[in-house]
Formats: sequence, C-alpha cells, structure tokens
Amino acid sequence: MTHDLLALLALLSPLVAAVVLFIIAPLRVRGAVSAALTIGATSVSLVASVLLAAARMFGATAPNVDLQLAWLPGGAQTLATVGVYVDPVAAPMMVVVALVALCVQVYSVGYLGHEPSRDRGRYFAYHALFAFSMLGLVMAPNLLQLFVCWELVGLASYLLIGYYWTKPSAGQAALKAFWVTKFADMGLMLGLMVLYVKTGGFDWNVPVGQALMTADAETIAGLFFLAVVGKSAQFPMHIWLPDAMEGPTPVSALLHAATMVAAGVYLIVRAYPIFMLAPTVLTVMVYLGAFTALFAAVVAVFQDDIKKVLAFSTCSQLGYMVAALGTGSMVSGYFHLTTHAFFKALLFLTAGSLIHAVHSNSLHDMGGLWAKMKPTGILLIIGSLALAGFPMTAGFFSKDLILEELLHAGHYLPLGAAILAAGLTAFYMTRVVMLSLFGAPSEAAEHAHESPAVMLAPMVLLAVLALAGGLLHGDFARMAGVEAAFHVTPVGVVATLVGFSGIGLGLWRFSPGRRTAIGTQWVSAPMRLLTWLTASKPVDVFFAGFYRQAMLRAAAGIAWFDRYIIDALINLSGWAVLRGAERFRELQTGQPTDYVYAVVGGLIVLTAMGVFTA
Amino acid sequence: MSAVANGFAALDGIEILAVDGLLAVSALGLLLVDVAMPAGNKRVIGYGALLLLGLAFAATFTLDLTGTALSGAYVGDGFAIWCKRIFIGAGFFGVLGGLDSTARIGPRRQGEYYQLLLMSVLGMTLLAGARDLILLMVSFELMSLPLYAMAAWGGIGNYPEQKGPIPGMTMPSKRRWHRPAEAGLKLYLVGAVSTVVALYGISLVFGLGGSTRFAVLATTLTGGPLLTLAVAMIVAGFAFKIGAAPFHMWVPDTYEGASTPFVAFLSVAPKAAGFAALVQLLLGPLAGMAATWTTLVVVLIVVSLLVGNLMAVPQQNIKRMLGFSGVAQMGFGLMALLAAGSVTAHDVASRGVRPEGLATLLFFLAAYMVANMGAFFTVEAVAAAGYTPGKPADERDDDDTLPTFAGLHSRSPALALAGLLFVLSLGGIPFAVGFWAKVWVLLSLWAAGFGWLVVMAAALSAAGLFYYLQVARSMYMKAPVGADGTTLPAVKVGGGLLLAIVLLALLTMGVGLFPGPVMEAARIAAGL
Repeated sequence: MTHDLLALLALLSPLVAAVVLFIIAPLRVRGAVSAALTIGATSVSLVASVLLAAARMFGATAPNVDLQLAWLPGGAQTLATVGVYVDPVAAPMMVVVALVALCVQVYSVGYLGHEPSRDRGRYFAYHALFAFSMLGLVMAPNLLQLFVCWELVGLASYLLIGYYWTKPSAGQAALKAFWVTKFADMGLMLGLMVLYVKTGGFDWNVPVGQALMTADAETIAGLFFLAVVGKSAQFPMHIWLPDAMEGPTPVSALLHAATMVAAGVYLIVRAYPIFMLAPTVLTVMVYLGAFTALFAAVVAVFQDDIKKVLAFSTCSQLGYMVAALGTGSMVSGYFHLTTHAFFKALLFLTAGSLIHAVHSNSLHDMGGLWAKMKPTGILLIIGSLALAGFPMTAGFFSKDLILEELLHAGHYLPLGAAILAAGLTAFYMTRVVMLSLFGAPSEAAEHAHESPAVMLAPMVLLAVLALAGGLLHGDFARMAGVEAAFHVTPVGVVATLVGFSGIGLGLWRFSPGRRTAIGTQWVSAPMRLLTWLTASKPVDVFFAGFYRQAMLRAAAGIAWFDRYIIDALINLSGWAVLRGAERFRELQTGQPTDYVYAVVGGLIVLTAMGVFTA
Repeated sequence: MSAVANGFAALDGIEILAVDGLLAVSALGLLLVDVAMPAGNKRVIGYGALLLLGLAFAATFTLDLTGTALSGAYVGDGFAIWCKRIFIGAGFFGVLGGLDSTARIGPRRQGEYYQLLLMSVLGMTLLAGARDLILLMVSFELMSLPLYAMAAWGGIGNYPEQKGPIPGMTMPSKRRWHRPAEAGLKLYLVGAVSTVVALYGISLVFGLGGSTRFAVLATTLTGGPLLTLAVAMIVAGFAFKIGAAPFHMWVPDTYEGASTPFVAFLSVAPKAAGFAALVQLLLGPLAGMAATWTTLVVVLIVVSLLVGNLMAVPQQNIKRMLGFSGVAQMGFGLMALLAAGSVTAHDVASRGVRPEGLATLLFFLAAYMVANMGAFFTVEAVAAAGYTPGKPADERDDDDTLPTFAGLHSRSPALALAGLLFVLSLGGIPFAVGFWAKVWVLLSLWAAGFGWLVVMAAALSAAGLFYYLQVARSMYMKAPVGADGTTLPAVKVGGGLLLAIVLLALLTMGVGLFPGPVMEAARIAAGL
C-alpha cells in the first residue's frame, strides 16, 4: 500500500508541476518559480524511486506494485489499462531517470542563469513534462501506455532541442529529430497493432497457452526494433542525434544519457519476452549494434566539436547495448544502460561547463583549461575513464559483461568490432581530455573561470556513481536469476589492454609537446576520405534524396488526389447539405398550427408503418 | 391488527423513495420560505435549491434505493438510480449555471423558478422507477407542466416601458417579453397535443391489458391492430418530449426564446426522462411488440438524423443550432434504444452478442447532458456579457448568434477552450466523452445487426461536424471584431456560471480520457 502511494507520487508529482506550469502562465514566466517547482517535483520522484528500488534490489524482494485503471473498455475484456507498475526491472530505471533528470535540472539553474527569466520558465516546464513522460514510460504496465509516453517523450525532447527557437539551426535540428524518430515510431505503432491482433492485448508477457507463433513474434519484434533504431540512434537512423546538439548542453545530457535514447533500449528490455521468441531479430540486433558501436566510434575520433564527440560516443555505446540485448542477455545491456547514464550525463555536464567557460563548442577554442578549472577537469577525466572502461570504474564492469556475452554467444565478428570500438573509445576520450585541458590555452581559455557550485554539485554526484556504479553488477545479475560475482575473464583482459593502448596512443599523439596541428588536419588524406564516408554526410544525403525524390513526389500525388477528387467530393456533399437544408427549412414555418399538423402527420405515418409491419 | 397491517402494506419499501421525498419537501419548503420572505432579491432561494439538489444527488450514492415500493408500482433498480442521478445532476447544474441569469430577469420572483424546477425534477425522479401506467403518466405530467411555465418565465422581467397604442398608455417593451412567451406557448401547445396522443395510447394499453401494472400487462398483452395503434401513439407521444423529428418543431423556437440556463436544463433532463419512459414501456410490457416498435424507432432515427443534421447547418443563432443538433443527438439515443430492443435472447445465445444497448443509452444520456449543458452555459456566458454598455437595456443579451463568438479565443482563452471541448464532445471527437458515447452506441447497434444505420449515422455525424466546428472556427480563427466593426470585449464569467462551466468541462475531459469506470458503472446500472 505504501509502495502504491510511492509509485503514484513518483509519477504524478512531475505531472502536477508540468500541468501547473503549462496552465498558469504567471508562474511559468518566472524562471525561479518554474525551476523550484520542477526541481521540487523531480526530487519527490527521486526519493520515491529510491525507496521503491531499495525494496526490490540488494536481495530485498518486495512484491511488485501493480495499480491499473481500466482505460478503454472494449467488448468482453478491457482493451487497455493505464497505471503504474514497478517490478525489479522498472525500479532501477526509475532511479536513473529521476536522478539524471534532477542533476540536469539543478545544473541548468546555473547554466541558463543568464537567460531571460521567461525562457527559463518555459525550459523548466518542458523538463517537468519530460520527467513525467519518461517515468510514465518506465512504469508503464503495458506496451500501450509505454507507447503513449514514448510519444510524449518525443514531444518533450523536440521542445527541448528547439529551446533556442530563434536560432534557425535549432529549429531545423528539432524538426529533424522529430521527423526521423516519428518515422521510426511507425514501427512501434504497427508492432502494437500486430500484437493486439495476435494476442488480444498489449501485454509484454504473452499469456501462457496462447504463445505467439515465431513468425508473428519476428514481425512484432522487428517492427519494435525499427522504433528502437530511430529512438536509440542506431545506424542508419542516427543522423538526428549529432544535429540535436543544437539544444542547450544540459538537454543533451538529459536526452542522450538517461532518457530519450535510453527509451529505445528500455523498450527492448520491457518487451524482452517477445524478443526472445524472435531469433532472427536478435541476430540482426547483434550485428547492427556492433556495427554502430564501431562506426560511431570511428566518426567520433574525427569530430572537433566536443558535443559531437560525445553524441557519436552515445551512438556507439547504444550500439553496445543493442548488441548485448541481441545475445539474449537482457541484464548485460540493461546494466550498461544504467552505468552509461551516469557517466555520459557527467561527461555532457562537464562539457557544458567547459563550453560555458569558453563560449564555444570547439576543441580548438579550449586547451590549457586544467589550470583554470581543476574541479571540472578532474570530473571530465573521471567520466572519460569510466567511458573508456578503465578498471574498477562503472563502465569497466558493464562493458566487460557485454563482451563476455558476445563471446559466450559465439558472435566473434561483432566481438572483434566491439573490442576495437573499446580501443577507439579510449582514444577519442583521451583526445578530448588532452585537447581541452592541457597544452597552450587558446585566447578564449585565457578568461575562463570555474563554474558555480550549483553546476558542480550535480556533476560530483554523477562522478561518484560513475566510479562506484560497478558495485551494482551483482544486483543486476540477480535480476536475471544468476548469483554472479565479478570474475576476471580472458576477453576482459584483452579489452582492458586494448583500452589502455587507446589511452596510451592518445596520450602520445596529443601530448602538449606534439600539438602542432589539431583538428582534422592531423590525419592524412586517405583518412580524411574515410572520415567523410563514415561521417553522417552520405547518410544524410541519402535520406535527403529519399525525402525529396520519393516522399515529396508521393506527397504531390496525394495532394493532387486530395484537391481534385476528395475536395470535390466534400464540396459536392457540402453543397448537397446546404441545398437540402434550404428545403427542410421551409418546413420550419414558426406557425404553431403547422407544428401540431406535424405531430398528427407523424402519428399517422408511424401508425401506418406499425400496421404495415404488424 | 391485520387490517391495520394491510392498510399500511402499500407503504412497504417506501424508503426507496427517500430522494423523491426530499425533493418534494424541498420544493414545498422553498415555496413556504418564498412566501415568508420579505419582498426583495430572493437569490438565497436559489442557493437553497442548489444545496437541496446537491443533498439529493449525494443521497443517490449513499442511500440504498434498490427495492420495490407502492405494492409494485414503483421499483428502484440500477436503471432508475442512474436516471435519477442524471435528472438531479441536470437540475443542479441548471440552478448553478442560472443563478445570475434568474436573478437578473426577475429578482423578486426567482423563488417561483426554483420551485418549478424542483417540482419538475421530482416528476422525473418518480418517473424513473414507475412500473404503473398511472404513476408513469402522472409523474410525466408533473415533470412537464412546470416546464411550460418556466419556458415563458423569461418574459416576466422588469423591462423598460415604451409607449402604448393609446396616448398616455405604457406597456413593457415588446422585444424582450414576446420571445419567452412564444417559447412557452409553442412548447405548451405541441406538448399538450403529444400528451393527449400518449395518454390515448396508454388508455388503449390499459383497455387491452386490463391492468395498469407493468408486471400484469407483460403477460396479458397479446398484440393485435389496436395494440399496434397504441404502440404508435406511445412512441409518437414520447418522441415529442425527447424532441425527435418529426415531433421536434417546438425545439428550435423554444430554445431560442427561453432563457439560456433554462434551455440548458430543458435540453437534457426532460429528454432523459422521455427516454426513461420509453425504456420502461417498450422494454417492459411492450417488449413483445418489439418487431413493431423497432420499425417505428428506425423511422424516427432516420428522420431525426436527417432533419437535425441538415437543419443545424444554416443556423446563425447558436441556440437554434444546438436545438437542431439536439434532434440529431436524439437520433443517437434512439439508436441505443433500438439496439436494446433488437438484441434478443436468441442473438445472445447463438451469436454471442452482448445486450449492451441499455448500458450505451445510459452512458450516452450522461455524456450528452454534460456536453450539452456546458455548450448552453458557454452561450449564456458569451451572450450575457456580449452586449455593449451603450445599447438600450431592452436590446441586451438577445444576441446568441454566431458572430458574438468571433475571436473568443483571444478575448477569453479559458472560456473558448471550454466551449471547444463541449462542441468537440457533441461532435464526437476523441478524446471527449461524447466520442465514447457515439462509438459505443454505434458498436452496440452494429452488433444488433443494423449495419446500414450505423453507416448512415456515422456519415451524418461527419456532416454534423460542419456546424459544430463552425463554432470552433468562429472562436479560434476569426478576429474579435463584431458585425459593426467594433472590437468585441473580453467575456468575464463569474459565480455559479463559471463554476458550472468548469465542472462540466472537467467532466467532459476527465471521463473522455478515462471512460472505463463510467462505462463499467453504466453496464452495472443496466443490469449487465
């Protein structure tokens, strides 16, 4: 009972904040009030989530919270329900979502401190909506509610990416994110339709006795996976993610660490019983995930914009998760989702801190910041180590688990790609650290100063989790029903050595003494060609061409049909209605005697009908 | 001893009439208070009526009203209780939304209005459980007679006087009082004819069945041409009350002329009562004549859908438009009734059809009440505030036409949003409550085997969007400029009217988002 209330509290407090802020304009235009409301509501969610999770992890086994309200009645049984559902799978994700959202919100108070109060108010209202949508997604008792919240998450991210709405590029980026993810969302919608037709419900636990046929499961899982590819930015639908960096940096931290992109992976985790019935889709996931992991890591090496490095890094890490889930190991992918949320949020926030100091995203404009911003520097290094999988950090445990699962499942090619990507990850993060923190300071970096405490505090919290998050590994293993303590494996050793060599190579290549030329010039011409090919450009061009040639032409055809056929029919019916109305109107004379005649006439007609049919 | 006991046997189970008793005492009590009060503004009587209706509404939830009373002439079941809630709820909102308007029209005589309203509600609640022809007709007339007076009540106000035909003679400004009088008179004339028709049909039923009790009639009625005539008369007589075409002629004229908060009440409560009477007669003692009466109902449905939807299109006066749209809505209510009467035990057994018609009717009536009252209250809010202060008093608040809604969105965003919600619900757009009502009715009718009627109703519903969305278009897409080029002022709504609109909007949206529990309750009330 207490848990029921906690679950409702966790979900509804951001909703209340969002509704209040959207409806009551005087509160919304005051940035401080809006921030206080949103942060307060998210704190409530976090406390409730932690309490709920604590009772379901670390060996404790509280019963699931399952509150459902009949939403759409349909025939004999209820068509759909809405409610809150907290089981050992949902609980950790709730904590991750609430925690990262809270950190980002607190950080934003400092980061956006110079923005007009009105805009900040709007920003925090979006945040409240986002927190509600994401928690609703995580706590969904069925896939239909998950879908509704999935779309709300998409809407909130679209609003947040386009926060700087006066900037045309921000508007375009928001539109692109919307367009690509919407396209992918069709997969989820169609998958749900097939699921409903085949099972008569939206449950991820297919009822025993009416198990799905494999072919149906493949169809559903395949359609769901299409949605995941879009939402979690897997190749080739990753194109929206780098552009989405147009939003404020804390937004990038929120969207690309804990939440929006994680929604895709979480969908797989939730619908895992269905995915387990679809071996083909699982295999595709392994290969596509591993490919994305390697491909995005390569692209990340060549980026000069610190946020784009992190964006491609997110693609890469999501590739790991998808590949891990494809091996049939739900826990390894889910665990990496959790640890990645901590250190990637940390990295984005530190990047934001650097950007805040030098007013530029470019690594060229940074350098030598170590002297000016030691706390941020330490935090950046911690985040980078965790991402690189440095031993005993959170990333080490989760990445190692994934590699082990790949080996175990016998996917050697994807395993090789993943290990190579791990080396590249270590390399590009070392590059970021060396270029931004060390060497000769650029002109902008001369005037840099450390961020305020309100921005540092959330980062410190995330850094602690990035270091210590690995301790949760035993707990995630228990979720899968195995009591596994961590053990050293050959593949783990190899990956760690590759990671070390990546770090070493980066330290050597970008040591302050050798930094004569930075940026893309440091690579040779063939490498640059490779960059161009692998960067998102060709994919962008392909999609743009597809959009112009296929979609716009189809749209033109439909428009013609609409204008000359549909509109004509509608106009015809409208004309008929109006003419008919004119005729009927003459009957409404306003004379009471005529009204009485109508009653009598109607009675005669009815009687005649009655006698006729009797 | 036993003689005494027999004498009081008729009072067994009388406690299920507690709510009706409360209403009767309330109406008479308010009359006494009215008489005892010193002359002046008697607004407080309105508050009293509100409080008592609220109490009665709460009592339908807290008291156990199920059982049989008056020696079987009165039955309290889920259906009766659901209907009572609709009637009392409509009365409550009718009083709440009309507090200001009533005080404005006749400050000294408002007591009469509330007494009449309570009497009418009492008639309806009695009707809901009547299982006896006499009780049914008497309560029906108890409901109807106050309505005639209330329709004309808008004409009693203290209006500025103007020169009479003879030099030196003055008379009230004609412009203001003649319309409510016309409204009341037309309602009365057509109502009287219809009552005569229904009463004649009922007397035939009595003559053929030899009893006034439904339980007896169900076994003694056997059919024949006279009974067919009786069924036709009963259907025609009650079709008047629900305003189904071709018995709808009074609807637009009365709606246009009577005071708007009264029309909000008139457009829902008596219609629900008409349906309650039809359900009790047609699904009760006349269930054996289903083959006959379903044919008649189909005729009414087709004509109502056609006339209502087509006639609503060219209306410029929103109250007339809502009147015609109400005719079309009644077509939907009759479709639910048709579904209830057409699903036989054989269908249930052989085709697995769920006999949901009655449940859909109950849900539809509740949904229609919420959205339609809300729409009329929005009209009242706009019209009452729409006049310009410079105009002479006798030309005020006559303006219920579409142009007064122009640009309401920029003048009063919250009111426009509420109005939009109500018209969307009436138009059957998801996710307002009206959508679920229409969908459910159509589904149950489809299951009952009237596919062609479903297609026709869906198509005409789509045509109906034309006039509903015209209001939305006027509110959201037009500049807030009046016909004479002046900028229209912001609409300020306050007091009871505001509260009524807010509550109704919340219900429209809330039940629209979560229809499940209410639908389930309707199903239980219908005995499923």
